[in-house]
Amino acid sequence: MSNEFNLPASSRTPEVSLNFDTGALTLSGECYPEDASQFFGSLNQALDQHFSSAKNLSANISLIYFNSSSARALMELMDKLEDKAKAGSDISVVWSCDEDDDVTQEFVEDLLSDYSAMHLKVDLIKSE
Amino acid sequence: MNFNQFEQIRHLLPDDRFMLCYSGYVSEDLLDAIGLTLKVRLNEHVEDKKKVKQIFSIFVELMQNLIRYGLEGPKGVTIKDEDHSGFGLVMVVEETDGFISLISGNYIKSEAVPAMQARLSKVQGKSDEELRALLKDQIRKPTEETSKGASLGLTEIARRSAKPIETSFVQSDDRHHFFMMKAFV
Repeated sequence: MSNEFNLPASSRTPEVSLNFDTGALTLSGECYPEDASQFFGSLNQALDQHFSSAKNLSANISLIYFNSSSARALMELMDKLEDKAKAGSDISVVWSCDEDDDVTQEFVEDLLSDYSAMHLKVDLIKSE
Repeated sequence: MNFNQFEQIRHLLPDDRFMLCYSGYVSEDLLDAIGLTLKVRLNEHVEDKKKVKQIFSIFVELMQNLIRYGLEGPKGVTIKDEDHSGFGLVMVVEETDGFISLISGNYIKSEAVPAMQARLSKVQGKSDEELRALLKDQIRKPTEETSKGASLGLTEIARRSAKPIETSFVQSDDRHHFFMMKAFV
């Protein structure tokens, strides 16, 4: 049995997977859940479980679209990862943005500009 | 409501342009269904995919505003919890000048009007750069107790609108105003 946390994609939430062995986290799809704090709450718990025994994490975030309340939850997720990195974990985040969506690109660049302890990269991708 | 009245409503809506209109109770399930339909139709109709993204993003924020804040208004019939009736009107329509406008309307309590105007004044008349800075600033701030994160949504709508958003408040009775907001892509 693989040692993973998985959430399948729904029409309004992304596919999420976190491999506790490799520390690979992926979020892909669209994100505008009814209750963003609830949706991200379960991912937060999985991350706590991961960091209870592992130190490193490599995240791939490719969200074609996320709404404003998810933006705040994503910021909290990044804050958490930055704290781990400051405490000595090796954290890398590759954030893929839709090249057709300048506003989201700007937003992600501005958000990530607050962090320095993680390894960060913004990729532009063509969706659809 | 007879057919004559019903036909008059239809008559008010443009039928020669891209159009989507919904009035009544709104819910997250409905946002899901209408959002998908809108996206499919926009992809068929609008060549510029950047525009499709902007329209969809603004639509989601407008619908979530209605779900969270839209009251049934002066003659509400199903009110149990007046503050959570999730009722409103939304329209996406291609204007004759080439813009697609997104308009939402919902009742709010009259005493909530000044707070709403204060929130709007933070985003209206601001440049794209100012709105970008405001988004960065607001995401770091704790959610205002009465706004459930709506300030961020408003800023996002203003930032994504191709022209300054327009707003209007019309008094409906001694307790309610009808609040309208229009964004452009």
